[in-house]
Amino acid sequence: MHLLQPASLASRLTRMNVLVSATALFLACAAFVAFDVITFRQSIVRNLSVQAQVLGSTSVASLVFNDRDSAQKTLAALHAAPDVVSACLYSADGRPFVEYHRDVPRGLPPVARLQPGEQEAYWFGHGDVMLLDPIVFQSEPIGYIYIESSLDALWARVRLYLFISAGVLLGALVAALAVSLSFRKVTLQPIHALAEVARAISQDRNYAVRAPAGGVPLELGDLVGAFNGMLVQIEQRDRELRDARDELEHRVELRTAELAAANKELESFSYSVSHDLRAPLRSIDGFSLALLQDYGDSLGADARDYFGRIRAATRRMGLLIDDLLNLARVTRCEIRHERVNLTDIARAVEADLRKADSSRAVECHIQEGVEAEGDVHLLRVVLDNLLSNAWKYTSRHPSACIEFGQMNSNGDRIYYVKDDGAGFDPAYAGKLFGAFQRLHGASEFPGTGVGLATVHRILLRHGGRIWAESEVEKGATFYFTV
Amino acid sequence: MNRHSTIPSIAASPRDCALAFRAALFLSALALLPLVSRAQQDRPTEYQVKAAYLFNFSRFVSWPSGPSSAVSRPFSICVLGRDPFGPILDATVAGERIGGRNVVVRRISQPAQAVDCRVLFISSSEDSRLKDILAALDKFTVLTVSDIPGFNEHGGMIEFVLQGDRVRFAVNLDSASEARLTFSSNLLKVAVAVRGNQPRGE
Repeated sequence: MHLLQPASLASRLTRMNVLVSATALFLACAAFVAFDVITFRQSIVRNLSVQAQVLGSTSVASLVFNDRDSAQKTLAALHAAPDVVSACLYSADGRPFVEYHRDVPRGLPPVARLQPGEQEAYWFGHGDVMLLDPIVFQSEPIGYIYIESSLDALWARVRLYLFISAGVLLGALVAALAVSLSFRKVTLQPIHALAEVARAISQDRNYAVRAPAGGVPLELGDLVGAFNGMLVQIEQRDRELRDARDELEHRVELRTAELAAANKELESFSYSVSHDLRAPLRSIDGFSLALLQDYGDSLGADARDYFGRIRAATRRMGLLIDDLLNLARVTRCEIRHERVNLTDIARAVEADLRKADSSRAVECHIQEGVEAEGDVHLLRVVLDNLLSNAWKYTSRHPSACIEFGQMNSNGDRIYYVKDDGAGFDPAYAGKLFGAFQRLHGASEFPGTGVGLATVHRILLRHGGRIWAESEVEKGATFYFTV
Repeated sequence: MNRHSTIPSIAASPRDCALAFRAALFLSALALLPLVSRAQQDRPTEYQVKAAYLFNFSRFVSWPSGPSSAVSRPFSICVLGRDPFGPILDATVAGERIGGRNVVVRRISQPAQAVDCRVLFISSSEDSRLKDILAALDKFTVLTVSDIPGFNEHGGMIEFVLQGDRVRFAVNLDSASEARLTFSSNLLKVAVAVRGNQPRGE
């Protein structure tokens, strides 16, 4: 079933088993055949030698008494040996005495082939083996015997061996395959089950399943155990994570609700405060004015001055309330994102400022074509505040220079408003953007301390930020991003 | 050594079993090949062949052990009656040894003189008194050979027979066993006729 999958462990194991058995068997068969060929060759030569000696000793009298008939009869007995194709008796002088040929006459070797003193000579030809023996009678050489035998028996035997070897090889391969297949069931079934479980887990993310651990070999049992242990841990960690997440969510919901409630409370509080504070303020201002108008003549100069101060204070309070309402509005209103031309806004603000105080000699450098993405009304509030601040904090200097522009730093577009006015101590730079935080007294420079807080909040709501650099009496530069 | 049963003329070579000598002999035999082929052409005479056979018989026959088989005594081949061999027989056996004993040729005139003989050739000149001779030899362990026709019928052991111009021989085993002589089966194989039976357990 898995044999067709080239990458499966099962087929690799099976192939390995079969290959190993095939190699071992092949080597064994080869060694066996080689050994048998060698020994069989030796035994052929030995048999031939025995045959030659028997023939030689039987032919002694024939040679001694020069009797070709009996010698011929002796050699004719070789007809019973089917492998012998030729034989010859030589007389002592080396001349053929009688010959025997099974089929066709064949060439006979000279007896000189036998070295003097040699007991026997044999050599192999193409498909046959030849043997030459001296015939010794009473320690005197009286002739020679030569036998040529075909090696058909050897080759027949080799063929038979190869045939049997091939059969054994085939049978062994089939057996190895069968053993390997049955062995695979025992060994690989657990691995398959494990892989199946792992696949199910990675697909379904179901960590509750477990790999079966029964009837598994030792090492695989460890593996399955470790795998299941891992699953237990994953499941547990999963549960813990889920619990932690649930708790966090719950806590966030709780906090959000609390925050929303607090925020709402704060907003309505500040709104109502701002709104409700106006009414008494209006009364104070209105009645102060009525007193001045109706009874001003009967009042002393001091009293009139006091009333003037009351009215100035109420006006300032009114401005403060306006600013607080603005700040609250900035926090609550929706932001519309559009392309805004900051240059135009800056020029408009400049024009307003010049109209309000035409006595000032202020030089303004406003860069052309500065644009930003954001809410046009809120960005106007930002520029209004920053440029008004610059205008205000240069008022002690006889001449002033105010710059607005943009620059690029690390791919961010940074806008800046720069003046050469009073500046501030950089140690307090962190306090600049808090509400009601002022670095200068109201007598020095008037203000409510809400402007930069408003600017900061607007830029935060746009996803930007603001920071400032300055030194006392050396001007200040406000940078911001949108 | 290197006895060529077919060519007795070159059989008269020095006897020694030394290897080098044997090789030298083989070479000399090769050198003599023209001579051999000529000898083959004018075939060896009848009595050259018979002389060789007479000597060779003794190599296929075993005698019972007795005082005459002592190594110190020569192995005698005797000729009774008129000698048909002349010097051929002496030349044939010159330098030969059988069972470590020197081979000598003796010519005798009376059967009684054959007491020390191992092989006795009875010349055809003794045809008329053959019966008496064989009777006289009854007590001796001597191999009797002759070319007298009917020698075997009269109790002789080996009888030369001529087949065409080839010298063959016939054997009488009964006579041999009476004289306690044992013939090699190889010898019987080349015999043209065998009379009697080889005793069992030879």
